[in-house]
Amino acid sequence: MLKRIGSVLIILFFVFAAIGIVMAADKGNARKGKYLFRKNCRTCHCEDGSAKPLSPIDKTQAQWDEVFKSIDKLSCTKEWAKLSEKDRNDMYAHLWGHAFDSPSPAKCK
Amino acid sequence: MPMKTKGTMSRRSFMKLSAAAAATTVGSSSRILYALVSEKQGTQPNQLRDQFSACDMCFNKCGLIARVEDGVVKKLDPNPKSLKSRGMLCARGNAGVRQLYDPDRLKYPLLRKGQRGEGRWQRLSWEQALDHAAEQMERIGQKYTRCGFLFMAGTDMQSTFVHHFAEVYGSYNVISHESNCLLSRNRAFLDTYGVVPTPDIIHSKHVIMPGANRFEALVTPDSIDLMTAMQNGCKLVVLDPRFTKTAALADEWFAIKPGTDMAFFLAVAQVLISENLYDQKFVAEKTSGFEELRTHVQPYTPEWAAGETEIPAKDIRRLARELAAAAPTAMVYPGRRSSDYKDSTQIRRSFAIVNALLGNWDQKGGLILPKKIKTGSISHDPPFYEDNPDDRVDAGRAQMMFDEEGSFKHTRDAVIEGKPYPIKGWLTYKTNPMQTGANRNKTIEMIHKLDFMVTVDIAMSDTAWMADLVLPAPSYLERQDPVSAFLASSACSGVLTRDPVVPALFESKPVFWIVKELAKRLDLAEYFDFTIEDFRKAQLKKLPEVAKALKNDGVYNLVGHSHGIHEGKPFKTRSKKIELYNSRYAENGINPLPVYRPPQAVPENHFRIVVGRNAYITQSASTNNTLLWELEHENCLWIHPVPAKRLGIQNEKLVEVQSAVGKGWLKARVTEDTRPDTVYMDTGFGVISEGLSKIFGKGACIADVLEDHADRISGNMAMHETFVTVSKI
Repeated sequence: MLKRIGSVLIILFFVFAAIGIVMAADKGNARKGKYLFRKNCRTCHCEDGSAKPLSPIDKTQAQWDEVFKSIDKLSCTKEWAKLSEKDRNDMYAHLWGHAFDSPSPAKCK
Repeated sequence: MPMKTKGTMSRRSFMKLSAAAAATTVGSSSRILYALVSEKQGTQPNQLRDQFSACDMCFNKCGLIARVEDGVVKKLDPNPKSLKSRGMLCARGNAGVRQLYDPDRLKYPLLRKGQRGEGRWQRLSWEQALDHAAEQMERIGQKYTRCGFLFMAGTDMQSTFVHHFAEVYGSYNVISHESNCLLSRNRAFLDTYGVVPTPDIIHSKHVIMPGANRFEALVTPDSIDLMTAMQNGCKLVVLDPRFTKTAALADEWFAIKPGTDMAFFLAVAQVLISENLYDQKFVAEKTSGFEELRTHVQPYTPEWAAGETEIPAKDIRRLARELAAAAPTAMVYPGRRSSDYKDSTQIRRSFAIVNALLGNWDQKGGLILPKKIKTGSISHDPPFYEDNPDDRVDAGRAQMMFDEEGSFKHTRDAVIEGKPYPIKGWLTYKTNPMQTGANRNKTIEMIHKLDFMVTVDIAMSDTAWMADLVLPAPSYLERQDPVSAFLASSACSGVLTRDPVVPALFESKPVFWIVKELAKRLDLAEYFDFTIEDFRKAQLKKLPEVAKALKNDGVYNLVGHSHGIHEGKPFKTRSKKIELYNSRYAENGINPLPVYRPPQAVPENHFRIVVGRNAYITQSASTNNTLLWELEHENCLWIHPVPAKRLGIQNEKLVEVQSAVGKGWLKARVTEDTRPDTVYMDTGFGVISEGLSKIFGKGACIADVLEDHADRISGNMAMHETFVTVSKI
């Protein structure tokens, strides 16, 4: 009986671990995303830039979800098309993770 | 301390000079101090000048005016234009001049020669020191990735450059002092209000102050405003196991059983709701989760809470009613240091929830959030290091850690374990975790895991004493800082800065210069292609009125933007309202409403040890100050007369205080100012550094005795979870 419980627990552990990995992968690497956001977006979205300054805290997590669902509607959609799926995911992880209503809102710099 | 002194003033002659200077500081001409002043400055006697600055004896940055005579800072006076400090300067602020002219100051770069902590040093030139540090940083970065180097900077106006350096060097592992201090409070209020509000004490008519000791652990303007508010009829109720100075001046003091504050405030919430004393309009419009809260607090009656807190039920009920009667000009004071229990965030959530029920948000005498003045910056795009791990070394060790703050406790554990990846280098700047981080032996163990540790500080702190390379920094009176924006409750939002009042003594160099030089050596110079003057210009580019005020008044104050400024705006939470019930907590397996867990019972023949402050000690940064030392030569252990008698302990006699992780010897202070189950001692004594000559060998180190527990949610150190035995020597 104890062995069976042990086996179930081990299986459950791997199932949850796998789910955890998938979820993490979905959200991307926020550290890389911060770099990519600065490199790709801040060139225009900055003080005296051609677009409004932009920071993760300018939107809620739900609003960032919407932005990433409809990138094709952004005026800079051509720029987005140059980015890989992974780079987009990484940027999403940064922006969503430090959004207006996130547990770690980005500090103004 | 066996230091070479060739080429500079010897320690002995410095001591002689300083002793003489101490006797002649005020009033008479202190000729002797000319020995510390460059020849250029000293050629024209009786030159008097005043210069604005901002104090750095603690984190408050109170405005001051340095009185300089013949190139020597003779006296520090408060700047009457500084609204934040209400034109005042405390004992520590006045003693700032002794930080400048401290014979124990670090004078030149030092390289460890013996074992770590042995105190054998070799003097280096700056070139040698910086080359060595850069080589170590390069080597560690190559071998262990850039995240293999840890950075820790204290609350300082130049710490921003340490953070910038860490970012361009490529490490995410940056921690501050805050996880040994206030992160639980920040977590709790952010997760309730979406921001961390500030208390508008001066306009309040009723303040319940749980745990905070605002008349000794000074916060400006709160400490001064609390006194003013009380003169204007504000009632102060203090809950504290110790009879502090704040308790002594309060209208009512309750020696609450430690660790039960949440029980008290859940019962207050229960009374406010069951008796319909809460602000119904505010709660309906501005909060979410009220029905869940109503159900949740039903069992938490004052009668139940009395058994937990040891405060009579009739008093809890009365205090709740009085609080409601004074609302919205009433508050539960949010506090500052909240590094006390494993449940600290949830304890502070209960404070935040009661404030919301009072409807005091954005109101005079309640919790406010004035608009901070937004300064500019120089923007750089730091490089990305592809071989770096995905996250911080302490990631995942607490339920909801602040990404940009981390946790000293969890980082230290990770370094000791070498998991999830090794950290082999550490740079500290003006922070002293050897004294402020619970369980000093663990900090020593962590340091022994490192290949290289460099400390930048003004004096040989215990942390510096353990380092491999020690670099001397100037005091705040000798350096140029960037501008710093601050919030000062309803007094003002403001901006301040510092310019050198006198040139830097010895070979001390500001940390900005140090990291810039390191960046050059690490091929990162392009990210530090500016001076502090350039940085300031960028900060003030769109704020010409600020630049003018800083020049004329030493401070910029923006008054009158404190109340009613958030009306109609959404809260920065998921629901866009104050979250009494936190849905994100629920999703993360955290209780969405604060659930009371009784503190662990104090075992027989043991005491709970608690942490606190007095008004003339800023932890370990000021105990060795020659002026402040006159007020306290060593710390002592507060113990109640009943257990003292049982243990045969006499006042002023030595005792041993021992926990599961460490012990210390110090004198007993037998006093009814603490509960029979609680003992207390000041921080900042029992040092291991022989470079702190006034206090070496004096008292005991509380960090040596405290066990290192953590707040489950924020990862903040939990310092009130330690039980000790006390025995006579």
